[in-house]
Amino acid sequence: MSIPTDLKYTKDHEWVRLEGETAIFGISQHAQEALGDIVFVELPELETKLDAGEAIAVVESVKAVSDVYVPVTGEVIKINELLEETPELVNNDSYGQGWIAKLKVSADMDTSSLMDATAYQAFLDQ
Amino acid sequence: MELKNTALHAQHLELGGKMVPFAGFSMPVQYTLGALKEYHCVRAEDSCGIFDISHMGQVRVTGPDALAFLQFFSTNDVSQLKDGQVQYAALLDENAGFIDDITVYRINATHYYLCINAANTDKDVAHLQEHAQAFNVTVIDESPQTALLALQGATAQALLQAICQENLADIAYYRFAEVSLLGQKALISRTGYTGEDGFELYLPNQDAAAVWSNLVTAGAIPIGLAARDMLRTEMGYALYGHEIHADITPVEAGLMWICKLDKGNFMGRDALITRKENGKQWQKVALKLEGRGIPREHYAVFANDEQVGEVTSGLFSPLAGGGVALAYVKPEQADAVLNIDIRGRKIPTTRTKTPFVRSCVKK
Repeated sequence: MSIPTDLKYTKDHEWVRLEGETAIFGISQHAQEALGDIVFVELPELETKLDAGEAIAVVESVKAVSDVYVPVTGEVIKINELLEETPELVNNDSYGQGWIAKLKVSADMDTSSLMDATAYQAFLDQ
Repeated sequence: MELKNTALHAQHLELGGKMVPFAGFSMPVQYTLGALKEYHCVRAEDSCGIFDISHMGQVRVTGPDALAFLQFFSTNDVSQLKDGQVQYAALLDENAGFIDDITVYRINATHYYLCINAANTDKDVAHLQEHAQAFNVTVIDESPQTALLALQGATAQALLQAICQENLADIAYYRFAEVSLLGQKALISRTGYTGEDGFELYLPNQDAAAVWSNLVTAGAIPIGLAARDMLRTEMGYALYGHEIHADITPVEAGLMWICKLDKGNFMGRDALITRKENGKQWQKVALKLEGRGIPREHYAVFANDEQVGEVTSGLFSPLAGGGVALAYVKPEQADAVLNIDIRGRKIPTTRTKTPFVRSCVKK
C-alpha cells in the first residue's frame, strides 16, 4: 500500500497531518499491520499537554500492548471517540477514520525530526 | 538455541503464517486471516479450525509395570482408565508443585501414551526416565517423530469423517481410537483446548502434510497461537507457565478433581495433603472487567488500596464482550471487590465462573 504524501511520519510509525495550528495523528499502515487485530485503544484525555515523543495513547492487539508517541508537541483538543467502540478502524483505515487525536500546536514548532513519505518509505525499506 | 520446525513448517509459510519462537519451536502466531477472524472461525456454527500443535510432546510407556509406574507419577487414578480412554492429570514434584499437566491415554493394560507440554518435554522425559529403573517399564520420547493436529469447531467431525474409515460418532468425549486417516495409521481423540467439539490427531511426521492439506482444502481454517490462547482462556483452562507452575499446587489451581488422594501413594501426595489441610496460599479467581481495558498477565489485582494478587492470563473476550482474566489472589480477599490495575487506573471487576463463555464440548 502506498504511503500518503500529504502526511509526515515518525520513526515510531506514527503519522501526523499538520494544518497550521492543529495536527491530527494516528499510527501508520505498517504499524497496524505489525500489531495485528486491534481490540482496544486507550485515548488520551482532553487538554493533555505533551512534548513530542511522549507516550500519549495505547493500542492493544490480541497479543500485544503498544504505546503511541505523540509526533509533535501540543495539547489534545479532540479525540477519536469512535475508536472506543470500533478500535478496528485503526486496522481498516489507519490514515483516515483510524486517527487517534487532534492537537493544538504552535505553528512555528520544530518538525525537523519528522519524515516525509519518501523518507518514511526509505526508513521502512532499511 | 536454534528453533525447531514442525513437519508442517512449509505449509505454515505457504499459508502466510507469521512465525514466532514458542517453546523452542518456530510456530505460527497467526495466518493471513488474522487472530480475531481465526478465533471466530472456531467459535462459529458452520466452520472449524485446524491447529498444528506438533510442538507438544508425546511419551510412550510400555511394560508389565506401566500402570504402577504411572500411578506413582500421575495425580489421577490411572487404574480407572479403560482401553481407549483419556484422562487429564498432573505431574507433581515432592512439594506438590506442578511439573506439568498431561493427558494419559490407555491403549491397553501394559501400554499407555502421554501428551505433555512442549516447554516441559525434556524435563518430563528426564523425570520419568530417572525413576523408570525402579519399574519394569520402557519410557520412550516419541515427540521428535510425532505430529499433532487439532481440528476444533462445529464442522470438525464432518470434515474428519470424510478421510476416516471408522465411525467418529462412536468416539465420545475423552475417548480415542487408532484409526486410518487417508489410509495411514493415526491415533485420534475427542479432546481439545478450545471448548468446542473436535479431535486431536497424532500421526507420524511423514503423514502430517497430507492430512493437513486435505482438511484445509475441505475448509478447515488454519489457526495460530494467538487465537488458540483466546479460545483456551475463554474456557478458563489452565496453561503451564501461567496458572500452573512449580510454586502452585493443585489446591490453588482448583485442580483437586484430578488428584485422587485415596488411590495410594504418588509423588507430591504428602505435601499436597499438608497443603490441603493448612489451607491454600492463593485463591484462583475468574474476573470480568466492568470498565474499559484489557487485563494482561502480571497486572496487579487490588482490594481497596492493597495489592492482593496478580493476573495470570487475561484478554479481550469477543464472546464475553470485554476484558476477562484469570488471577491468583489472597484467599481472605477473594470475596472483596477486586480491581485490576491497568496502567495506573484501577478498573473494577466482578467475580464470575469459568468457562467465561459457553462450552460446546460433547460431554
